Amino acid sequence: MEHMKKTSVLVLDDGPEPPQDLRRALEEAGARVRVHTPADVLAAEPVPVVDVLLASAEVPPNIVRAVARRMDAQGLRPTVLAYTEHDFGALEGHVHSGSDYLMPPFLTSLVRARLGSCREQAELSRALSEAGGEADLLRYERELEIGREIQLGFLPESLPTPAGWGIDVRYRPARTVAGDFYDVFELVNRRRLGLVVADVCDKGVGAALFMALIRSLLRHTAEHGGIHSLKTVDMPARHDARTVPMVGAATLLNAVEATNDYLTRNHVHQGYFATMFFAVLDPVTGSLVYINGGHNPPVLVRAAGGTPSTLDPTGPAVGVIRDSTFTLGHAHLDPGDVLFIYTDGVTEARAPDREFFGEDRMLDVLCDGAGSGDDLLRRIDGALTGFVGTAEQSDDITMMAVHRTGA
Amino acid sequence: MAFTATLSSGSGAATIHLAGELDASTAPDFHEAIDDAVATGAGRLVIDASELTYIASAGLRALVFARQKVAEDVVIAITGVTEPVLKVIRMAGLDHGFAIATS
Repeated sequence: MEHMKKTSVLVLDDGPEPPQDLRRALEEAGARVRVHTPADVLAAEPVPVVDVLLASAEVPPNIVRAVARRMDAQGLRPTVLAYTEHDFGALEGHVHSGSDYLMPPFLTSLVRARLGSCREQAELSRALSEAGGEADLLRYERELEIGREIQLGFLPESLPTPAGWGIDVRYRPARTVAGDFYDVFELVNRRRLGLVVADVCDKGVGAALFMALIRSLLRHTAEHGGIHSLKTVDMPARHDARTVPMVGAATLLNAVEATNDYLTRNHVHQGYFATMFFAVLDPVTGSLVYINGGHNPPVLVRAAGGTPSTLDPTGPAVGVIRDSTFTLGHAHLDPGDVLFIYTDGVTEARAPDREFFGEDRMLDVLCDGAGSGDDLLRRIDGALTGFVGTAEQSDDITMMAVHRTGA
Repeated sequence: MAFTATLSSGSGAATIHLAGELDASTAPDFHEAIDDAVATGAGRLVIDASELTYIASAGLRALVFARQKVAEDVVIAITGVTEPVLKVIRMAGLDHGFAIATS
């Protein structure tokens, strides 16, 4: 039996020494023996790894259980065996609490057989415990995968694209579920196009749940609340004749304000908010009205080249401050122009040395001129991939390119 | 640089000194420090951000939490804010709930 791994035994005893004949039998049976008091084991860090916990019947059963629990908690799961030389009454208490037992005479052959079965039991118990943990993990991953699929259902199935326009998107969550989202939908009897790129703060399942809520609030209010809100919106006087009345502007303002109102009334204590860029495009004229709620400024890349302009925040992040003021921003896309909308996963992408990709590198790429929206996203992607190298993607990345192709 | 959030208190103010990068992985430490600071019952909360090198949206969320947890009459001062951190706070429009002083 020399090839067999030695069975490790921890003798739990408050007394000075376990009985001589027991110790000799254990050693002759090929066990590795250590003797400790319960107090020693409970204080030990880490607890010793053993196959068999051999407790003197004089140690109270609840103390033996406490020691066994501590070992179980660390995945060791030894088999518990109580022994006595003559106090058979005390042994009964241990048997009641679920321990196996060992009684004199402590003959080597008997002890060896008992240790063998105890070790098998310990190994089986350990294997079962590991399998249980793995099953938990698998179940968890499966649930998360279902969450991912459901979340993808909160993104548009297709991108409605008016004649003379191109819309391209890249969406890459850093984890299974994401806090980023984008949306493209038709408004005002298809006379306008709603464009959204947003980033719910923080990460993980919480951000993903709020992504679903915020996307739905925005889109539902925009699609169904526009007419009602027309009366309540005062258009600022500074807008010139060309932009007033702005069809879709009231819809936009109403959707963002209603979403902010809903979140700050019902969810403020959960502390989730979203930065967002929400624009309403008139595909016929190329004019764009937008709200930038605390979001990274989208970049308007001109067909003619030159320094791109940025569409800076016109209000705070949505869902933080009750009765926030959001104002409308205006922009115009001429044929060949591309509007690049993104989340901070782009600028905050990191190289292996932890350096950020940053706005300057991004603008450098954008300064090379527009081309098609897909070209532009491909170029940014290439620059990002080269920069990040082998580093792990730390944040969700969303990019949208809105390209006015036609004259 | 490892993130640390260290709480100290005295003369009616609780001060949380932040160092390193405040992101989703380190924000829980900041949350804890805020809870502890609130427990001191100080009338003023100072967030010393002079050694804070980066703040992600999870960090902004922690700031929003801090604003909610303390009583409305408690001033939250963010001191020593560096340019990159200030830019993120400003962009999200969260600079109004706090008294911000740059370094």
